Amino acid sequence: MNRKEQKSQIGWAAPAIIAVLLFPFVFLLMLSLGRRWAYPALLPGAWTLANWQAVWSMQAGLGESLFLSLALSLSITTVSTFGSFWVSKQVAYHRYRHRWLVLAYLPYVFAPVILAACLQYFFIRTGLSGKLEGVALAQFFITLPYGIIFFTSFWTERLLALEQLIATLGGNSWQAYTKVLLPVAKGPILTCFFQLFLISWFEYGLTALIGVGKVQTLTLKVFQYVNEANIFFAALASCLLVLPPIVLLWLNKRYVFSKVI
Amino acid sequence: MFLEAKNINKCFGAEQVLDDLSLQLAEHEMLSILGRSGSGKTTLLKILAGLESPDEGEIVLEGQDMRPLPPNRRNIVYLYQEPLLFPHLNVFENVAFGLRLRKTQEGVVRKRVGEMLANLELPEQARKMPHQLSGGQRQRVAFGRALIINPKVLLLDEPFGALDAETRASMQQLLKRMAKAFAITALFVTHGLKEALIMGDRIGLMEQGKLKVYETKKAFINDTGTGVQAEADFWRGIYLES
Repeated sequence: MNRKEQKSQIGWAAPAIIAVLLFPFVFLLMLSLGRRWAYPALLPGAWTLANWQAVWSMQAGLGESLFLSLALSLSITTVSTFGSFWVSKQVAYHRYRHRWLVLAYLPYVFAPVILAACLQYFFIRTGLSGKLEGVALAQFFITLPYGIIFFTSFWTERLLALEQLIATLGGNSWQAYTKVLLPVAKGPILTCFFQLFLISWFEYGLTALIGVGKVQTLTLKVFQYVNEANIFFAALASCLLVLPPIVLLWLNKRYVFSKVI
Repeated sequence: MFLEAKNINKCFGAEQVLDDLSLQLAEHEMLSILGRSGSGKTTLLKILAGLESPDEGEIVLEGQDMRPLPPNRRNIVYLYQEPLLFPHLNVFENVAFGLRLRKTQEGVVRKRVGEMLANLELPEQARKMPHQLSGGQRQRVAFGRALIINPKVLLLDEPFGALDAETRASMQQLLKRMAKAFAITALFVTHGLKEALIMGDRIGLMEQGKLKVYETKKAFINDTGTGVQAEADFWRGIYLES
């Protein structure tokens, strides 16, 4: 095969792969905008924005779920990112670093949903079961360890030396963080923020167990519509579900794809 | 005496790193400390800077006990072998760092950093980022960043260790010149015999946690334990053979 033929094959392959990857999303969008789409029709019988208008109506509760999920995930992610940034530093420079790291891996070794089942008793006893604060706390139990694992490799001997240098130049801990450590860690922080957001945003099992169906995040809504065989609303909720991660990925693309630790 | 370390002991586990070490340093004096890797040189500097605490002993600077003071309140700057420039700041901001910490007025910062960069022969590099500099230039910026805050004592931990021979020689001359211009009081740690002789007003030899400071360079050269005689014999032999 000559170079020209190779180039022409690659030229066809790339758009084909992109089309295959994008097809489910286009299909979901069509489903969310379509009505009267029965087999064997290739396209919906009618197009309407009625489903999307339902996002803003209180009846379906989709808009409420969207804002609840956004508020929950953004707050969990923010606290976990900065919390794990600080905790990971203590772990990284601790003499028993490996023991602490094993603890951080535990929620993932057991799987978050098993962790939730184990912790459910305590959530019921403390009255947190079925409450937003309970779900937030439960998600925090998996996002914080992930952040710690993510950041532990960031703290190197070189960074410790840099911090010590700042101290001898007259800087206190706050100045070390604000003037050097956080700016230097900007890329990893944004990458970690994105990854923690994805964990929290798509979390289903743990949220369903601790929230006992009362905390209706968007992920739960999708499953609810799927179970009800409400395909048009399921598609609409799915479209809403993928939108924030795409926006966040777009904003963070420089760091997510190139500047990982 | 300007700086005094008295009977410093330090152990890491079962290993005694500093063994009843004492030293005295006069104001504006540069003391070279020669020693092999693992002889305790870095630990000594870190203890003086407040980055490590001694198990026993006293550190007195201008009559004040340094032990209760954290590193950021000692005004003793510790420079590593690596320049450790802040990667997100350009040369100007790296040099200005200590002044920014002290919230110095912008006009004063510009004037002093400009003067410092001129002294370091780096005025054209002010807007460059650290990765755009050579090894020698980075080390100069590191000196400027330390000197601009007028530290009472500068601790230099093999600062030219990562440089090639030519750059090392020019940096030694630059530091000698800067030391004179800024009346620096410094401890210069090295494992290079020649470098210790070039840089120090006096020289100390560190072995197994013990420090022996020679009052004159002549005394240092004449002591067979320092290795100067062996080095001289080696070069003499090479010369005679050729």
